[in-house]
Amino acid sequence: MHMTNLQTTFHQWRKRWAYQPWFRRYEWLVLGLAMWIGVALLFLPPFGRPTPLGAASVIAWYLAGFTMAGVLLSDREKPILLKRATSLSVIVLFFGLFYRYSGTRWDRVQSQFFDFSRMDGVWEMYAQGLLVTLQVAIVAAVLSTIFGLTFGILRTLGNPVVNLFLGLHVDFFRALPLIVSMVLIFYALPFVGIRLPAFWSAVLALVLMNSAYQTEIFRAGIESIPRGQIDAARALGLGPGATMRHVVLPQALKTVIPPLTNNLVSLVKDTAVAYVITVPELLTNAQQAVTWKRTPTPLVLSMFVYLATLIPLIHWTRRLERRLKVGTIL
Amino acid sequence: MSAAPMIEARGVHKYFGGVHVLRGIDVSLAHGEVGALMGSSGSGKSTFLRCLNRIEEPSEGQVLIDGTVITDQRTDVNRVRADIGMVFQDYNLFPHMTALENVSLGLIHVRKRPRSEAKDAAASALEQVGLANHLTKHPQQLSGGQQQRVAIARSLVMQPKAILFDEPTSALDPEMVHEVLDVMRTLASEGMTMVVVSHEIGFLRKVADQLIVFDAGLVVERGPAARVLDEPEHERTREFLRALR
Repeated sequence: MHMTNLQTTFHQWRKRWAYQPWFRRYEWLVLGLAMWIGVALLFLPPFGRPTPLGAASVIAWYLAGFTMAGVLLSDREKPILLKRATSLSVIVLFFGLFYRYSGTRWDRVQSQFFDFSRMDGVWEMYAQGLLVTLQVAIVAAVLSTIFGLTFGILRTLGNPVVNLFLGLHVDFFRALPLIVSMVLIFYALPFVGIRLPAFWSAVLALVLMNSAYQTEIFRAGIESIPRGQIDAARALGLGPGATMRHVVLPQALKTVIPPLTNNLVSLVKDTAVAYVITVPELLTNAQQAVTWKRTPTPLVLSMFVYLATLIPLIHWTRRLERRLKVGTIL
Repeated sequence: MSAAPMIEARGVHKYFGGVHVLRGIDVSLAHGEVGALMGSSGSGKSTFLRCLNRIEEPSEGQVLIDGTVITDQRTDVNRVRADIGMVFQDYNLFPHMTALENVSLGLIHVRKRPRSEAKDAAASALEQVGLANHLTKHPQQLSGGQQQRVAIARSLVMQPKAILFDEPTSALDPEMVHEVLDVMRTLASEGMTMVVVSHEIGFLRKVADQLIVFDAGLVVERGPAARVLDEPEHERTREFLRALR
């Protein structure tokens, strides 16, 4: 009753401090942080590149500081403000080091990477490139999904010959890098008389790989349906086909949507590999603009075109997944 | 009515790999009779029930439904199954469909009835099991007892010759058991042939005509329900009934 609020707070603080291990006490941490930053600055020459020894000591010092920050952040009792200050100083120091000592010519960034004065005609090339990128992506996505679904269903039927072939397909094209199969199809196959246009070579390579992944996705989805569902359908007198169509697939497709949309997003990204076989897609056009305009700006800005296309797609798939999750609870 | 029994099993054997689960089962149920299968877990009663509509394929022996051998490889097993209802322990309703769609699925895709007619029949079957107010609900929105009654309606709507019940009340909370048993009792009184795997002694005493006790893949005792329950002859039956009390 006599105690004021302030006194109570102080009392609680005292009590809490008494049970802290020494390395978690404020004084040490604040002092340590200050010393850490101070010594980190001492190690570094104020200009030019650091010597190898200097760089090594900075890295070691940085790791020590990171550990210390970890200790501090792991303590739930510490005030949030102190934690934020610690995280922030770690981040600032990290990027500060990069900014100062990576050797980057920061004065050139704007004039080289964002030179909008030389973008005449490049926007049109982006549009054409994006169109081709989307054409490759959509054709490949549709075909992969058709084949993936078919192969996935076939794999669950338990025919040993079919399983052998589909298993080989899955193993082969999940192991083979996409760029390798694309280059093989476009540059090696003509020597044995198979000539595919660049566009269809890219589509073929993408379909071969992604249908392999999707076979596994669909198979897992179908196999996740409990045995009892199939028993109940068969007990009603539904044949194997009708059971698959009316009972198994509608449920399997729901569980399959998150991994499937994931796969389709990476398929859209992977279309950039078609650059190596001269498909006039976004990256190819950007690279051509670089030689045409003699500035890396088109290449840098093409990054934003990719991001502007894919980030909405990713967010849309995430929304779709969340809606489905709600749907299953209901 | 024909003189042949509705359900008849002759020397049914079943092997799972090297394990001999059913070792020669003979069972015969007349039209409208209710047979109850009892026995400890692993005694083969559920496997035997599943052999009756070939959800499980018998390794040896014959099953006859209404005088027709259905274990012949040439029989159209889907037609046979359409005429035998089955109710499972875990209900096994289709979670992506409403109660009405669950019940009408068989009519539409097996009996090939027009959609509207099937929906009407399904609605009246659901009404029959007391679920007229839950037609558009999904299984997840129904209680266990309600789900099991939807499952019964799903079998019933096909107008089967017989219904197989595989422990229909084992997964239910005690207060929901009676609502399912009531429906089954009504069915039995209306002359439905039923085979029931169940340990609901009180229910079986009133409803079952024949009680068949399984042990280690063999029938060790059979007879009228009251007689088997009150004066069990076989030692295994006595042990089993004692354990139930």
